[in-house]
Amino acid sequence: MTKHLIGLGVLLAVGIAYPAIFPNNLTIAISVLLFAGWATSWDLLGGWNGQVSLGHASFVGLGAYLVAIGQSQFGLAPWWTMAMAAAVAAVLAYLWGWLTFSLRGPYFSLSTIAVAEILRLVAINEEWLTGGATGVFIATLPEPFGVDLFSRTAQFYMALAFAAVVIATIIVISRARFGYQLRAVREDEDSAMAAGIDPTATKLKAFMLSAALTSIGGGIYGIVLAFIEPHVIFALLLSVQIALTAIIGGRGTIWGPAVGALVLIGAGEIFRTTFAEANMLIYGILILVVVLFVPRGIVGELARRHIRRLYAKRAQG
Amino acid sequence: MPNVLRADGITVKFGGVTAVNNVSLSLGSGEILGLIGPNGAGKTTLFNAVTGFAPMHSGRITLLDKDITALPAFKRTRLGFGRTFQTERPFEELTVLENVLIAAFLTVGRRSEAERLAMSVLEQVGLADRARQPALDLNLARRRRLELAKALAVKPKVIFLDEIMAGLNPPALREMIAFVRSLSGQGLAVLMVEHIMEAIIELSDHVIVLASGEKIAEGTPHQVTRNERVIEAYLGTD
Repeated sequence: MTKHLIGLGVLLAVGIAYPAIFPNNLTIAISVLLFAGWATSWDLLGGWNGQVSLGHASFVGLGAYLVAIGQSQFGLAPWWTMAMAAAVAAVLAYLWGWLTFSLRGPYFSLSTIAVAEILRLVAINEEWLTGGATGVFIATLPEPFGVDLFSRTAQFYMALAFAAVVIATIIVISRARFGYQLRAVREDEDSAMAAGIDPTATKLKAFMLSAALTSIGGGIYGIVLAFIEPHVIFALLLSVQIALTAIIGGRGTIWGPAVGALVLIGAGEIFRTTFAEANMLIYGILILVVVLFVPRGIVGELARRHIRRLYAKRAQG
Repeated sequence: MPNVLRADGITVKFGGVTAVNNVSLSLGSGEILGLIGPNGAGKTTLFNAVTGFAPMHSGRITLLDKDITALPAFKRTRLGFGRTFQTERPFEELTVLENVLIAAFLTVGRRSEAERLAMSVLEQVGLADRARQPALDLNLARRRRLELAKALAVKPKVIFLDEIMAGLNPPALREMIAFVRSLSGQGLAVLMVEHIMEAIIELSDHVIVLASGEKIAEGTPHQVTRNERVIEAYLGTD
């Protein structure tokens, strides 16, 4: 617990100093932080609870669209629309989970792909609200305490706060009753029931919280993009990237998804600038290497080795 | 003796096959009920139907005079059922202590108190020194005890033991028998499915014998082991 809080402190300290040290590398850092927050939110359901979603772009898009539409059509400030997005995302997750969590096996994962697809079609077709296929544009934003929300520095701090809040949430949950219920359901639903745990209710709660957190990050992303197009924000690619970030970093670990974001988004950026068109190839190879040789993900593997070493030492001594 | 658990006319069907046919049982606090029968007799099916892990075709189950027939397994646990699984099912990624902690969290919300409860249960089953070890690394006898600890940590009124003696070596078997007796001494109602006759005869107050899904005999261990239909069911006839 303490070491995780120290980790969080380090993240915040580095984060607060970052814009002053690397003022020209803010956009990439914003991406890393947003992905860290999304992947950690995803992991609450996908890693800790074992329910793999391939539709988290739905919640990113929901947040982004609500912030953009709220601002451009109704003059609602982003903090109100982000709170609304969190509530709407939780309701959507509840309804979706209620329909699909009774299915065992891969059906939940497959069905989540459909959610983003449905939302994308709604966004394209309900032109009066969403601007259709051309999308929505955020032209003005309020200036709370004189802060310009269009500035990359302000956006960086929002992304930092988002990632930190999500990671703090996971740190707390991992030690609490709820965190153990999540893991029990992941490991064995019958055994969980024998411990008095309602598997469906547990999955629903995890999905709702995961969706709500993701949508808040989506709202920040909307501000960062300032221009939201349905085929970009509701893309399957984004859903897959969020899931892969967590899986490669280490499912069901506190820092895995954040490390995954640093490696994948950071490396992705370097690859894109260095290898140009070959970057997708290298991205693919990286994923293959992790799946074949580090199936628990980077942090998952490190944690396991650490525990084994400790235990071997004690067994010898 | 007042009844803690009553099951009346339990029938379980799988498609056209009747796995358990109209079996009734009752159990008082501190009482040990043994459920025996040849392989395929429907013991585990009956056991799963009563605990809520297999759907019933008909029958009625009451716990302390409360009808729980329609309740899912996890609600039965919350009302006072604890069970082990025939093939041990530890949460393998977690430590021994965390495994029991999950069950302890049912009655205690605060982590430090739940941990204390889990540790005291681990001490009771003799696994306290293994608390920080990954559950995956336990040997068979210890996995059995972990199953027991998980079942006890929910603070049950009735505990269901599914073949917890199977495969244990003689000293481990003796320990387990003594342990089950101590549970009934604490006032727990025990329903055990068991193949090891030594354990059944020593422990059971009452024995029910199943064959092909039917109750063919019941009584004290002494009575049922002399029952002709029971001998026939186990050994066959010429």
